[in-house]
Amino acid sequence: MLRRLLCALLLPALLCSSAVAAEKIVVATNPTWPPLEFLDSDKNIIGYDIDMINAIGKEIGMDVEVRMVAWDGIFAGVAAGNYDVIASGVTITPERQRAFEFSKPYYDVQQIVVVKKGDSAANFEALKGRTVGGQIGTTGVFVAQKSGVDMTLREYDDVGLAMQDLLNGRIDAVICDSPVALYYANQKEGFTDHLAVAFRTEATESFGFVVKKGRKDLAERLNKGIDAVRAKGVEAELIRKWMGE
Amino acid sequence: MRDNEENGLPAGVAPEGKIEVPAGGLVLPDSEKGGLVNAWSLSLVGALAVLTFLCTVWPDPYLEILRFLPEGLVVTFEVTILSIVCAIPLGLITGLGRLSRNRVINLIASTYVEVIRGIPLLVQIFYIYYALAKFLQVSGLTSAVIAISFCYGAYMGEVFRAGIMAVPKGQTEASRSLGFNKVQTMVFVVLPQALRTIVPPVGNECIAMLKDTSLVSVMAMPDLMQYGRSFAAKSYLYFETYTVIALIYLIITLLLSKAVSILESRLNYYDKRK
Repeated sequence: MLRRLLCALLLPALLCSSAVAAEKIVVATNPTWPPLEFLDSDKNIIGYDIDMINAIGKEIGMDVEVRMVAWDGIFAGVAAGNYDVIASGVTITPERQRAFEFSKPYYDVQQIVVVKKGDSAANFEALKGRTVGGQIGTTGVFVAQKSGVDMTLREYDDVGLAMQDLLNGRIDAVICDSPVALYYANQKEGFTDHLAVAFRTEATESFGFVVKKGRKDLAERLNKGIDAVRAKGVEAELIRKWMGE
Repeated sequence: MRDNEENGLPAGVAPEGKIEVPAGGLVLPDSEKGGLVNAWSLSLVGALAVLTFLCTVWPDPYLEILRFLPEGLVVTFEVTILSIVCAIPLGLITGLGRLSRNRVINLIASTYVEVIRGIPLLVQIFYIYYALAKFLQVSGLTSAVIAISFCYGAYMGEVFRAGIMAVPKGQTEASRSLGFNKVQTMVFVVLPQALRTIVPPVGNECIAMLKDTSLVSVMAMPDLMQYGRSFAAKSYLYFETYTVIALIYLIITLLLSKAVSILESRLNYYDKRK
């Protein structure tokens, strides 16, 4: 009896509270991927993806909490349910689609190979026998592996470390998503003077937001949010703000 | 990373002049408690059985993972062996330096131990590879060996010091009174006796070193751990990949610890005959 009474009292209370407070989604990001997600000097996570997911959250009436997660393991975390969404410049690939649910594509990129200024490499063939760096588990590394050219691949924890090693002369090239490559080659202080874009791949990749396998409902909601953000012209504004292409 | 030697003192020097393996370290198999069923053989057989079972029943991910790893294993061994070769002499020099009555040498050795012991190995690796690159460029392998052997040189210095201190003073006195000089006393009388107490903890350090080489994957060194991470990042099979990695590390470590215990029992040959 007492239990029933408690339930009767608690149930409306729970319903009310959920109706008042907006639903919350926890979003994981690996802020080593400028200008998509990175840390500013005050240690805030900023970038295109962050603004985008916040705009989407606003449209679909969800509070967004952004959490910093290491790339190596970011997928394992969403699979384990530690957070709801990955917004970290994740390319939609068939292999990943098998293991996770994706939202619709929200941004298209290519892979760019960055070299030191003066290096004349213009395709993968020119990198034969040389050392190429990238961030572990990113599509840049996969594209380099699939190119079939015999080169030494070094997989860093963080693309910034790979760029640093390129600058230091320990590796010959770095491969990563085009916005990131362009950021280092054209904007990032200390790097722009020494690095140049060697070439970009022809194939286009699309970023999507990742949710746990089976969370189609959440993916659908994110899709609605992406549509709304596009329709309102927020997306175009954010592209102008961050990508500067 | 390491937990068995925080107190800095000649830890575990028992009155009868034996070093006890500090708590928290790896338990070396005790050959005297023989028999087929002991912790060591149980772990080894268990690890091998699980690995074989997984590879035969689900060859699709497991055998594939196992086939992916051998090159990484080679790098892991390379780093470990080179680090051991550098760390043991460094440890001996440090241990002797810590015992030296020359205040300058003593101070240098002690400062080295204090500084290195206070910085995590991961930070040291980052420091040598990325931070010092500003002034001095060394390859991944060199940085790894420098970082690990510097770190473990400091740890081993304490082991050597404790081992040497555990040799009864009378030995030195007798040797000196028979006309040996200081160096001869150390080389021919003290060190050979200290060796018996030093070997087990040093063996322990070497095993710990092998495990700690997994840290070098942060500088994109293609060791066993890095190959595993690379495979997991490509296939998203985290459970499967890290299970195999853990089992391989376990098997290697168990074999090494057996080797250390055999070495130990050989060195204690005369103790047993008493």
